[in-house]
Amino acid sequence: MRDLPTGPQLEQIAREWEAKGIAGLPPKERAVAEAMVERCKAIARRESDAGEGALAPIRAELAALYGEGEAGLERLAAEIRDGMLDAPSARRGRVLALLRALTLQKLSESNPRFLRAHGLGCVT
Amino acid sequence: MLATESRIAALERYLARAGGAREVTISGWRRLSGGAVQECWAFEVELRGGALEGCSTLVLRTDAATALIASRSRAEEFALLHAAFAARVRVPEPLFCSEGGEGVGRAFFLMRWVDGIADGATLVRSADWETRRPNLLSELGRELAKIHAMPVDAGLGFLGEPPADPAAHRIQRYRAWLRRFDDPHPVAELALRWLERNRPPPIPAVLCHGDFRTGNYLANEDGIAAILDWEFADWGDPHEDIGWFCSKSWRFGAYEREAGGLGAREAFYRAYMVAGGRAIDPKRVRYWELAASLRWLLLALQQRDRFLRGGERSLDLALTGRRPAECEFEILRLIDAEEGA
Repeated sequence: MRDLPTGPQLEQIAREWEAKGIAGLPPKERAVAEAMVERCKAIARRESDAGEGALAPIRAELAALYGEGEAGLERLAAEIRDGMLDAPSARRGRVLALLRALTLQKLSESNPRFLRAHGLGCVT
Repeated sequence: MLATESRIAALERYLARAGGAREVTISGWRRLSGGAVQECWAFEVELRGGALEGCSTLVLRTDAATALIASRSRAEEFALLHAAFAARVRVPEPLFCSEGGEGVGRAFFLMRWVDGIADGATLVRSADWETRRPNLLSELGRELAKIHAMPVDAGLGFLGEPPADPAAHRIQRYRAWLRRFDDPHPVAELALRWLERNRPPPIPAVLCHGDFRTGNYLANEDGIAAILDWEFADWGDPHEDIGWFCSKSWRFGAYEREAGGLGAREAFYRAYMVAGGRAIDPKRVRYWELAASLRWLLLALQQRDRFLRGGERSLDLALTGRRPAECEFEILRLIDAEEGA
């Protein structure tokens, strides 16, 4: 449900860059690389802190709309693609609310600064 | 790419042949920052004999290890740069192109170095640029008008015929891109449906830059020095470039300055129209702004896959994989705004 790479994958790439020696880079490139390493670690940390619990209400709503199992998001995507949610309806409203909640959760882990810039603060 | 020493030697031989020089010496070989899609290298060169005799700084632009599906070949990008230079658009002077990548290992082209800053965050946020931003914005409006008026001659035959309906053409392409991903992206599907259902009436396509945004031009104390990165140029609705430029993704955090993080849209629109660009329809720009968020979402997913599947162990590519949520946020917001929610 979260975007990829996963938190552990981000931690891994950050460790790889640290191991191969960011310190040897020219100052400007080093600063950029260090900032990206820190960002990878921070996303992984926030994702780990939020855990599966943060997604539980979203998963529950997805299951209510599309049934239990892992394919809920695929069914949702297919329903939109097939034009079943084009017209205003209570179901469309629920789907949009679900997508908003998922997007905000993902942003709270990947880019909380973006949320703050839009006056939304921390949603976790 | 080959090791640096052999690459430089090969490039010296290539430049001697292409530039008709007796002798060529390269020094100061360095990779330029940025360029997640292509690689750029700068170097000093001294040529003895030939049309380029003397010392100059050149830039070599070549493919990265893996490419985005929308990215043009270096030969096509070179031809576009050539056409832009001929049309007096501010671009680096293109010099030579090697489709075979002679000695370098991948197709490349060479252009003259242009002094300036491309870093979007600096241009948008630094106090040093505050008083110069209005001028940059006006100049960008004028440059975009020139681009949209560029003649498309035989040298750009690879562009094919302009589509009768630029929006329908673009939607078809984005739908094909989205199908390539294994994982579901419902907000991208939502954007596509919205774009399909709200397609504006077709207008004649023009040559669009395709990536006209802050971060893709060089600015210096004299103003806009060069428009860079022509790899996505294609036929399109002129509002598509404007929507991309104004998209929130390219304001580098200065969200209130809606035109590229530099200033007000109206100033940009005015400069564009005064310079001969067609009348801008704000509703059409909003349509293309939503399309811009979808496009950036899809490009970010492609970048992600270069990391996940293409084997490129890049921090930048990995982090780009976590950026689609920003586009999703904007798509949902724009749809709400358009539907009056």
